[in-house]
Amino acid sequence: MNMENTFKREINSLDKIFDFISEFSIQNNLDESTVFTINLIIEELFTNMVKYHISNPHKVFISLAKNEDVLTIVLIDYDVEPFDLTKVQEYDRHKPLEARTPGKLGIHFIKKMMDNIEYDYKDRQSKITLTKYLRNE
Amino acid sequence: MFEATKSATDLVNLSGRFDASQVDKARAVFDGINETCTIDFKDLDYISSAGLGVLLKTQKRVSEKGHKLKLINLNKHINEIFKYAGFNTIFEIE
Repeated sequence: MNMENTFKREINSLDKIFDFISEFSIQNNLDESTVFTINLIIEELFTNMVKYHISNPHKVFISLAKNEDVLTIVLIDYDVEPFDLTKVQEYDRHKPLEARTPGKLGIHFIKKMMDNIEYDYKDRQSKITLTKYLRNE
Repeated sequence: MFEATKSATDLVNLSGRFDASQVDKARAVFDGINETCTIDFKDLDYISSAGLGVLLKTQKRVSEKGHKLKLINLNKHINEIFKYAGFNTIFEIE
């Protein structure tokens, strides 16, 4: 069962996004750990899209798909500057407390928790495709 | 529904979902922590980098005065997130 929807570009859309993920998870009988992962990954990406293009009037497209043991998450952001998360410098998890900032933490989680990340940018449209192989859980 | 409740001078209870939309609500409580404090995660289901940012900022601020946050009762998913972030080395976690 696949699902897709668009969400208003504001932090308060998170509740609707979590409801959307919950409905998909129930329909696909996903376990608690996978649901936590999807919530986290989508929140991190969506909040970045809100933060960096706050005045953009376009909604953000999100789709979720499960085919056998492959989970695919797609986010599309319209009329934006490019931001290739695959090229973001690695987060240093060994820095001392005084040197720590929360920056890049969200992208670090995505890289740790997903099996494949693709970024496409064309006609001012950013498309992020994330894949997770559920049989590895 | 997220709640951060200061139930004693040295104890804060978290519950629900600590996502980016709850940062202001959390800051209202965490900004009032000025000494060593236990943060009880028993009823917290979820946290994202936005929530971790609030904890990190508070830990940095109180540690400058020789104090710290002590985190207890993290569920297995949140514990995993702390390890991914390397936060298990900068917080005392029980």
